[in-house]
Amino acid sequence: MVLVLAIGDLHIPHRAPDLPAKFKSMLVPGKIQHILCTGNLCIKEVHDYLKSLCPDLHIARGEYDEDARYPENKTLTIGQFKLGLCHGHQIIPWGDLDSLAMLQRQLDVDILVTGHTHQFKAYKHEAGVVINPGSATGAYSSITYDVNPSFVLMDIDGLRVVVYVYELIDGEVKVDKIDFKKTANTQSAH
Amino acid sequence: MGKKGVPEWLNSSLWSSSSARLRHPVSPPTRPPIPESPPPPRPPPAPAEAPRPSSGTPPEDPSPAQEESPARFAYGCRIRVQLSKKVVNIGELRRLASQGIPDAAGIRSTIWKLLLGYLPNDHEFWVQELDRKRAQYKDFKEEFLVNPSEMARKLEESTGHKNEGMESGGCGFMMRSEIAHDEHPLSLGKTSVWNQFFQDTEIIEQIDRDVKRTHPDMHFFCGDTSLAKSNQEALRHILIIFAKLNPGIRYVQGMNEVLAPLFYVFRNDPDQNNAAYAEADAFFCFVELLSGFRDNFCQKLDNSVVGIRSTIAKLSELLKKHDGELWRHLEITTKVNPQFYAFRWITLLLTQEFNFADSLHIWDTLLSDPEGPQETLLRVCCAMLILVRRRLLAGDFTSNLKLLQNYPSTNISHLLYVANKLHGASAG
Repeated sequence: MVLVLAIGDLHIPHRAPDLPAKFKSMLVPGKIQHILCTGNLCIKEVHDYLKSLCPDLHIARGEYDEDARYPENKTLTIGQFKLGLCHGHQIIPWGDLDSLAMLQRQLDVDILVTGHTHQFKAYKHEAGVVINPGSATGAYSSITYDVNPSFVLMDIDGLRVVVYVYELIDGEVKVDKIDFKKTANTQSAH
Repeated sequence: MGKKGVPEWLNSSLWSSSSARLRHPVSPPTRPPIPESPPPPRPPPAPAEAPRPSSGTPPEDPSPAQEESPARFAYGCRIRVQLSKKVVNIGELRRLASQGIPDAAGIRSTIWKLLLGYLPNDHEFWVQELDRKRAQYKDFKEEFLVNPSEMARKLEESTGHKNEGMESGGCGFMMRSEIAHDEHPLSLGKTSVWNQFFQDTEIIEQIDRDVKRTHPDMHFFCGDTSLAKSNQEALRHILIIFAKLNPGIRYVQGMNEVLAPLFYVFRNDPDQNNAAYAEADAFFCFVELLSGFRDNFCQKLDNSVVGIRSTIAKLSELLKKHDGELWRHLEITTKVNPQFYAFRWITLLLTQEFNFADSLHIWDTLLSDPEGPQETLLRVCCAMLILVRRRLLAGDFTSNLKLLQNYPSTNISHLLYVANKLHGASAG
């Protein structure tokens, strides 16, 4: 039972002052084992805050991040799943699912976590699953102003993943879940 | 060697012989509680260094290689006869067990289960009772040891929910489904399974740490072997389930030490079937044993009539009654507060003061008390103090405390004999 938080596009302090209070009250240290951050934090204070939630923090570089040392892509293995992380502004057209699928095949991962569009998406295709946690602060994006704060928590348990989607709609936290599993690990020939 | 003023029972020739036990006069089956009467007119026991040479001899070999003196052999037979009766006479068994249970006979496991009330007196009901209890423990394990992910998974499998397979063909947005009230990992709701799980994590970590530290010198408990690991797992499970079933007291450091001898004895039962279920049996016996002592572990009750402080005060009173000179020297002259040493003696039932084999012998006596181990425990503690009185009387605060916190190894049968004599003496 491994809990992985996928969060990003906070744009603190430029577009939003802080996470919504209801989100902050739920995000307490000690529960989460890994954090995958899609990027655009943008400042070191946010990095430190995320680090306090969980020491295992992975960040991909977003175009507004002040720290230039974050990588463009990152891959890691958690349990039976390979996860990939990328901010998404590099993939053109932004948010296009076929292009993201190409990136996923390129990184050879089961689950790809990207952001930039500030809209939650969970999409499945032959090579795997793409998850976009949206923007945790509800900051406006390059595409739209109409953004609900959201983030994603994945519970990886053996070959099965339960994705809990947390959204702040009209001031209330709504939680949904998505289940999927993969068949036993096959050797990837490509 | 004291010659004058030594009560004859301390100067008995028995201490120079090799026989481990002696048959002392039958103690009355219904023991009155220790009366708070004025100190008896007889002088306090003279220096107990007469038997000291015997404690200088090597302590009893922990391995079951006791010489079978005729008295011992007869005693072993009597216990076996008791056990084989259809309806065990529990009073008689208690009386016999209080003299110690022979190691070699492999009957300690069954006797402890009888003494703690886990097995009913009538043989006929043993199998039924055992099956029932073991099944109950299995249910507990399923209920309490499962983490929330597994719970959710089992729930789904039972409702026949179909998951989306990742490699199954087709692309598209994945279906979102609702979750039952607040059952998500970050939930802060009191009824949420996840929230309870995370709250328990702290206790589970504490239990983990303590279990790993239990008896580090014994291969049974500690080491890299799969046996040690499975034993540690079993201890963990028992303590976790106990903590979850008893939210009032949860887990307190030290419970692992009280559990360890129980589990050890049951696991080493020569009957393979019993040994396989040692975990379940140890759990119920642990609950039973602790039921008398729970108040010692509850911090809020520390200062109350049933709490640990009052128990320590009882010990102090006992010492005062039997050995006023020593009491005065300890409490008043050197100001050794009994809490400094007796706390561990009492809460851990003397498991930390002697080596493992000796503590099993002491537990035979403690568990055989029909009114619960506490009275006997206090008498044994008092006997421990009396046996080293010479060194205590000669010492100051530091040396006395050091001595009592690292109690020297001693002849256990002598210790138990003295403890029993205290009981006899207090009855007038």
